[in-house]
Amino acid sequence: MKPYRINLMVCAGTGCVANHSFEIKKALEDEVKKRGLENEVQVVATGCNGFCAEGPLMVVQPEGIFYHQVTIKDIPHLVEEHFLKGRPVQKLMYVPPDAKAPIPKMSDISFFNRQMLIALRNRGLIDPEKIDEAIGRGAYSALAKVLTAMTPPEVVSLIKASGLRGRGGGGFPTGIKWETCRKAHGEPKYIICNADEGDPGAFMDRSIIEGDPHSVLEGMLIGAYAIGSHHGYIYIRQEYPLARERLTIAVQQAREYGLLGDNIFGTGFQFDIKVARGAGAFVCGESTALMASIEGRVGEPRAKYIHTVEHGLWNLPTCLNNVETWATVPEIILKGAEWFTSIGTGDVSKNPWGGSKGTKVFSLTGKVKNTGLVEVPMGITLREIIYDIGGGIPKGKQFKSVQTGGPSGGFLPASLLDLQVDYEQLTEAGSMMGSGGMVVMDEDNCMVDMAKYFLAFTQDESCGKCTPCREGTMRMLETLERITQGKGREEDIQLLEDLSQFVMDASLCALGGSAPNPVLTSLRYFREEYITHIRDKKCPAHVCRELNVYTIDPGLCVTKGHGCGVCRRQCPENAITGEKNVAHVVSQELCKKCGVCYDVCKFDAVKVA
Amino acid sequence: MVKVTIDGLEIEVEEETTILKAARQLGITIPALCYNELIEPYAVCRLCVVELQRGQRTRLVTACNYPLRESVVIRTNSERVQRLRRMNIELLMARAPGAKIIQDLAAEMGIERTRFPLEDSDEKCILCGLCVQACSDVVQAYALGFSERGSKRVIGPPYDTTPETCILCGACAYFCPTGHIKMTDTDGRILHSELTLGPNAAITLPFRQAIPNVPRVNPDYCIHMKTGGCELCVKVCQKEAINFTELAQDSFEEFEVGAVIMATGFQDFDPTPMKLYGYGVLPNVLTSDEFERMNNAASPTGGRIVMENGEEPRSIAILHCIGSRDEHYHKYCSRVCCMYELNFAHLVNVKTSAEVYQLYIDMRSFGKGYEEFYQRILDEGVNVIRGKGAEVVPAYQKRRGEGGLLVCCEDTLIGKYREIPVDMVVLCTALEARADAAEIGRKFNISTGADGWFIEAHPKLAPVSTTTEGIFLAGVCQGAKDIPDSVAQGAAAAAQVMKMFCQGELLMDGAYAEIVEDICSGCRICNGLCPYNAITYDIEKKVSAVNPAMCKACGTCVAACPSGAITGRHFTDEQIYAQIEGILA
Repeated sequence: MKPYRINLMVCAGTGCVANHSFEIKKALEDEVKKRGLENEVQVVATGCNGFCAEGPLMVVQPEGIFYHQVTIKDIPHLVEEHFLKGRPVQKLMYVPPDAKAPIPKMSDISFFNRQMLIALRNRGLIDPEKIDEAIGRGAYSALAKVLTAMTPPEVVSLIKASGLRGRGGGGFPTGIKWETCRKAHGEPKYIICNADEGDPGAFMDRSIIEGDPHSVLEGMLIGAYAIGSHHGYIYIRQEYPLARERLTIAVQQAREYGLLGDNIFGTGFQFDIKVARGAGAFVCGESTALMASIEGRVGEPRAKYIHTVEHGLWNLPTCLNNVETWATVPEIILKGAEWFTSIGTGDVSKNPWGGSKGTKVFSLTGKVKNTGLVEVPMGITLREIIYDIGGGIPKGKQFKSVQTGGPSGGFLPASLLDLQVDYEQLTEAGSMMGSGGMVVMDEDNCMVDMAKYFLAFTQDESCGKCTPCREGTMRMLETLERITQGKGREEDIQLLEDLSQFVMDASLCALGGSAPNPVLTSLRYFREEYITHIRDKKCPAHVCRELNVYTIDPGLCVTKGHGCGVCRRQCPENAITGEKNVAHVVSQELCKKCGVCYDVCKFDAVKVA
Repeated sequence: MVKVTIDGLEIEVEEETTILKAARQLGITIPALCYNELIEPYAVCRLCVVELQRGQRTRLVTACNYPLRESVVIRTNSERVQRLRRMNIELLMARAPGAKIIQDLAAEMGIERTRFPLEDSDEKCILCGLCVQACSDVVQAYALGFSERGSKRVIGPPYDTTPETCILCGACAYFCPTGHIKMTDTDGRILHSELTLGPNAAITLPFRQAIPNVPRVNPDYCIHMKTGGCELCVKVCQKEAINFTELAQDSFEEFEVGAVIMATGFQDFDPTPMKLYGYGVLPNVLTSDEFERMNNAASPTGGRIVMENGEEPRSIAILHCIGSRDEHYHKYCSRVCCMYELNFAHLVNVKTSAEVYQLYIDMRSFGKGYEEFYQRILDEGVNVIRGKGAEVVPAYQKRRGEGGLLVCCEDTLIGKYREIPVDMVVLCTALEARADAAEIGRKFNISTGADGWFIEAHPKLAPVSTTTEGIFLAGVCQGAKDIPDSVAQGAAAAAQVMKMFCQGELLMDGAYAEIVEDICSGCRICNGLCPYNAITYDIEKKVSAVNPAMCKACGTCVAACPSGAITGRHFTDEQIYAQIEGILA
């Protein structure tokens, strides 16, 4: 590979691509050429950098200067100042919300320097479409070590000793899964990578594949060697076009390099991967439904009493792990189990369920300043993630709750901000690790409404096979809708609790088994909000519009707005009367509570109660 | 074997036995809606959820498909399980308010009403999927499936069209636990909600008291024969008696035999054309065959004599000679009717308190002990009227009688026209030759008479032989007769055959046709004319030849031979001319 004086790492993760990062890359290349710098400066499109809130992003290597919110207009100035004259452009540097001076270096920004990268080790450092760059960063060296210096049982025991647990949500010890699958009778055996990430607002797996697909392939190869498998599938949803494309390129390149196929590294080991596309049903992320989907059947889960490690895909032994799990494996092989167990909580030396080791990737979204993708060591507190990395709540609002684990995760209140993030503690608090979604909510969020929102998602995605999930979630949603519309009844809380328990206990798969979590935790930590909705017919956060009463402050309307009449003209029900310089009045009989008046008033004269 | 404890009771079962099966062995009932032991458990109704305790850890599992592999403690009726079950039923009550099985379960659990708003109040489908499983896994027709998902999920044929793969087997309706699916016999192939008759069972006994009395598979209805699937009978037959791989297909077997006994029997005369008796139009007008069937202890009524409305008749008229001794139908007497009718009257007297009227032309109680039986019937108080039943009409047409029907007749003993009100009429129909008797006769070279019965060689001297050597007659195919006569004739026919075989040689008549080879031109006219197939053509010699054993000396070929090559032995031209001359002299 040709060396360059400067490498411009332009983020080409989905978030930045949506903000025109490909156009920026093109403009940069043109500008660099125009200035005659094409032999000195290389522009690289990398995978997701993680700091999605500030995109489009660019990192100038090797010095590590971080530019954010780059636009095409900025580029001529940037190239001239920085790459020609050597003066980094202050204007494009990141300024923390509460600071005045910009932070030039990426490594000094708290969003980045509090993170610990294992699965995302090549984040923003390589072009994911070039296998040479991945190899340059050490990809496939773990595979070489495994194939040449380790026996399959040694690999399995190393993974067992590392305490690695499934990152897809269940947290099943990976080593034990491999060992059972290795011992299972039946040939051939299958390796599956579950890339059917369906949680709203979660993009961990997507970013790993988009940024470093070879880490996943290498992990699968190691797993295949350990288990004795020669056939692999990556199940990825069709809605991830960029990830799918980069994955297909990576598989192709690995095949060309002899890293997939027959006689890998001349050891006689043989393994190949097929990319299977999913149609985007949430339930297909469930392992048995996923296998049914690969087989060409309807993606519906089946009973768990027959384990997939023994009777999985095509009824043969199958080892399924999530993208993040596979991506973590090579690092463990290279650095050893001891290194991995030194990170995280608990003790896994005796009981594989005894602790949470390594790191976890979270997609931090919602009411937090620095939304984006973060990888943190297990055991970090929620407060550290939200405040230190996430930068806290924007607009000076009050933190209210955080949901972990995707749409079926629970809501944790402020009192649990110092909770250590690991499998056990999250479950104990009524939430879960899940695949790593993390949604932050502030005082403007109504917890009943949030519970309704997430339940609406799981209810809509329920496959309908078993009674509890099909009927139960529908009735729960019905009840929540009733409450948010002000038609709630006293007994509804009890009904919700009964239904939640039933759906959790009796459902066929984990979709139903975890769907009531948002309802149960909101009832556990924010019960008074429900009571206010039901008894007082009020929504404290003013989110449930049907419970709101809109009035106009006559003083403000006249003194500040001079009876501007915007609200009167916008009101679709003609419920507002008034004239210029006269205080406007909302007729409560006519008001349909759409909230347009509140939204349009520039003088804060419209009040909600 | 594993030892498990279910509700405090211990049981040892084979490994991989499901909890549900183990519980049933103990007599513990676990409610399950989507479970049928003939179908792989789908485990979706979740009603069979039970508590399973292993060590300190307790969890909930579905009993229908959880395989027992180790010693565990199971509670099928704990408070937690009950709570789940009640909620489940409440939800299903709202989903399918029309399903009786759900209402029954709710009543059993003491749930009066559901807390959820009802969907369509006639809805019965609980989406248990048994029909889909049955159609795909058992029948392998794949005509039913799920569509949509979540709470919108519905069951139906693909794209809601008439599925071409549906074989109308009705398996879906059979397995449906709530009665949501019913069969329709219109041309509609599926099966939703409309009530009509079900399909025929593929496995039945051929008929009552069949020998051997074992079930048979009817290929017209058997699902396996249509789709290759199903084979449920193989699964449930503990004796492993059903084997589709070695199943004999219908085939024609050929036997070479030295003699044939014709015992093809008769058919019942159909009284429908005799409009005066109202058969097939009026209720409670039966043929003797139908009445006999009803009397049978194995009949649908269990041998009880009842009318269409299920009530016992108060009076029955038995009409003799329907189709027999009748200028318009059969002139002959069917011989058996008088006696079985008397028997009917006796049975009615024994089983019911109904008044019986016998309407006869002549009472023919000719056999041994028959007349005594007639006397006994008279003593029992049966009304015997000499005069053939002329007409059967609904009672309201003539006058308001006590029964639903009126039988009109002329009582020739008192010389008066009578109308007898009855609840039921039995028409004693004639025995008649089978419709295909003439065709069978042609095949065996035996002839039928004007009345359709096969003709014996001689009514007195050879009553079981036919004009064709080696073909014998037995039973009603030769003429109406009762059981003792049929048995006697059968034995006689068998004896004739035995006689033939025992001798080892056939005694034949001296008269038969002969072909003079030198004169025969080989035209083969005689070949086709011979009614006994006795003439064959010898290809090598290019002449025809008569088989003397088959020739009956009818003389047809002699008269037909254009070359005059055939002569009848003992009936040569010279002999016949000599006889003529002798007569004329």
